[in-house]
Amino acid sequence: MIGSKILLVDDEEIFCDNMAKLLQNRQYKVTAVYNGESAIRELEKDNFDVVVLDLKMPGMNGINTLKEIKKLGLFTETLLLTGHGSVDAAIEAIRLGAYDFLTKPCEIDELVEKIEGAWRKKDGAWKKDLEEKLKKVVESPSDVFKLFD
Amino acid sequence: MNQILESSKKTQYSRLFRRFILLTMICSLAPLLLAGWAINIHYSRFAKERMEKMLRTRVEYHRKIIEFFLKENRTRLDFITQTHSIDFLTKKDRLSHIFKTINRDSWILTDIGIIDENGDHIAYVGPYDLMDKNYFNTFWFKEVMEKGSYTSDMFMGFRKEPHFVMAVIKNENGHRWILRATINTEWFRSLVEDVRIGKTGEVYILNKKGIYQTSPGSDGEIMTLASGFEGEIHDGVKFRFLETGVGDSQTRKIVCETWLRDPKWLLVVRINETELFEEVRHANRAALISLHLSALIIFIVTVFITRHMVSVIKKRDGEVERMNRQLMQTGKLASIGELSAGVAHEINNPLAIITTERQLLQDAEKRTPITDEIFGKQFAESLNQIDTQVLRCKHITRNLMKFARRTKSVIETVDVNVFIREVIELMEREAKSDGISFKSILDDKLKPILSDPSQLQQVVLNIINNAIAAHEDKGYGMITIATCLSKDKTGIVITVEDTGCGITDEDIEKIFDPFFTTKSPGKGTGLGLSICYSIVKQLGGNIDVESDVEKGTLFTLIFPFKPPEALLNHG
Repeated sequence: MIGSKILLVDDEEIFCDNMAKLLQNRQYKVTAVYNGESAIRELEKDNFDVVVLDLKMPGMNGINTLKEIKKLGLFTETLLLTGHGSVDAAIEAIRLGAYDFLTKPCEIDELVEKIEGAWRKKDGAWKKDLEEKLKKVVESPSDVFKLFD
Repeated sequence: MNQILESSKKTQYSRLFRRFILLTMICSLAPLLLAGWAINIHYSRFAKERMEKMLRTRVEYHRKIIEFFLKENRTRLDFITQTHSIDFLTKKDRLSHIFKTINRDSWILTDIGIIDENGDHIAYVGPYDLMDKNYFNTFWFKEVMEKGSYTSDMFMGFRKEPHFVMAVIKNENGHRWILRATINTEWFRSLVEDVRIGKTGEVYILNKKGIYQTSPGSDGEIMTLASGFEGEIHDGVKFRFLETGVGDSQTRKIVCETWLRDPKWLLVVRINETELFEEVRHANRAALISLHLSALIIFIVTVFITRHMVSVIKKRDGEVERMNRQLMQTGKLASIGELSAGVAHEINNPLAIITTERQLLQDAEKRTPITDEIFGKQFAESLNQIDTQVLRCKHITRNLMKFARRTKSVIETVDVNVFIREVIELMEREAKSDGISFKSILDDKLKPILSDPSQLQQVVLNIINNAIAAHEDKGYGMITIATCLSKDKTGIVITVEDTGCGITDEDIEKIFDPFFTTKSPGKGTGLGLSICYSIVKQLGGNIDVESDVEKGTLFTLIFPFKPPEALLNHG
């Protein structure tokens, strides 16, 4: 979805910047950070549709970052980038709630496809959530303010 | 290098062989031979002593017989003189009757005569014409007159032939007369020689002066002087050795000598030592032959047993070496595996950057198309080449990752025969285009195994791919895949045999090493078989290869019915 907000997290700065440029070329709004801690900070500040997260990072690794993201309870989907060796970890990440994973090096089109999928999932979940909340408002108009929680 | 190792091993085994033989010889043959020889020497000595004792006894006994004979005849003459008067004896036919009576059983006496104190014959019975002979001056007449009874030595006398006489004197009414008898020389000789032992045995009698009283056989004649006579009188039987002849004809004789009491004659029994101890020597020889035959048999058996033992050790050593090699291979693969994972990951990152850079360039080119045609063409070609090479690197890192991968195996029941048929079906088309046909020899009675089918497939496909590649230059060939129960019946065996170019001895050592390939650069990563190796090991199996250059290669895969417990729990 053109204009979707993407948070790119990868300790490989050049790769991260290149990916950001490529995604920006495809009309996405991209923020690039180089570690898990910065990612969490960004997520606390702003809303993102999809987080593209590298699995192997110094400090807070991809799995821990994912856990933290899940703790925030945001309407955001996470895509994991991994080398071949960490397929097991990628599967573990999916169990923890990640949308999907991609192996490096990957084509930009492939990534875009996954981002689109993740966005659709996030959008669906968000809409469903909104519908449920609206339903509750209809049933109990006093809860209208909860819509903006 | 291999040849040097082989020859050093060969030397080692032949040294081991020699040492075993030497030890066994020292431990078994040396005591046997020592004991054998000791017993033999002891037995020989004992047997010789027995033989000597026997000889002494026989000689002693024979002396007694001769003495008895002489004494009996003297007593006989004495008896005649005591019981008969001279008048009676000189009457016609009386002496002849007595002579015949004495000689009735055997011809003991040659003649008998009565001689008066003047030395004249009064009566005579015998073959000689001696009636007119006067004995007054003969030595024996003087001796008998002096001693009353006398047994002479051998002498020639009036008859001019060797003989000896016995004479007794009787005093009758103041007149003395002598009864004299001549002992049959032949009869006496045969009596003496009766004790002769063996072919070389000689028996004779010497008088005190060393004159032969009976014919000695080879060394001299009767009534001649015996050589080397010492004349020393002794009791019992004297036992001594005598060397005769010179050079090759030299013989050692055993001489037994014993003195008769009356007359003082020496009974001599001689026999060749070799003949006397022939039986002992024969027994000795037989014992020694058996001893040495036993030693030879022990030696041969030792050689056979040792050869068998060394071959068993050699086989065991081979197995240990093979296991060590496998252990080393596994260790090597494990460490390379760890390294590969790191390397692949580290390469993946720059590859990812290169990929993104290429895509950025493509994006830029889309935004601002290149107007220069040649540059544009080169730009496109270069991007393509970057893409191709990145893919190539990606392929390598993917294989590296597979090699190092510690993913969980998915354990399922696998019918190996069905699985092999599927694999053949999968590969048949590709092989056919290369002129290669498949043949399967499957054991239908095989039970299914518990294993990871995708990993199994990866292994078998890899080996078949290699087999197909081995026929590259031939353009035809056959791949035979067989299944059977393993020898220890704890698993199954899959063999893949090809008729390809084979693998050299040098290459076969490194075949499971990562990055080892004989394919041209770019065609193979050299990881296929090392991945197979680690998969097979992970599944609790074994992989082995045998190859003959120009003839083909045989891969043997063994998988257990049940994979390792850890894998089962994991799965």
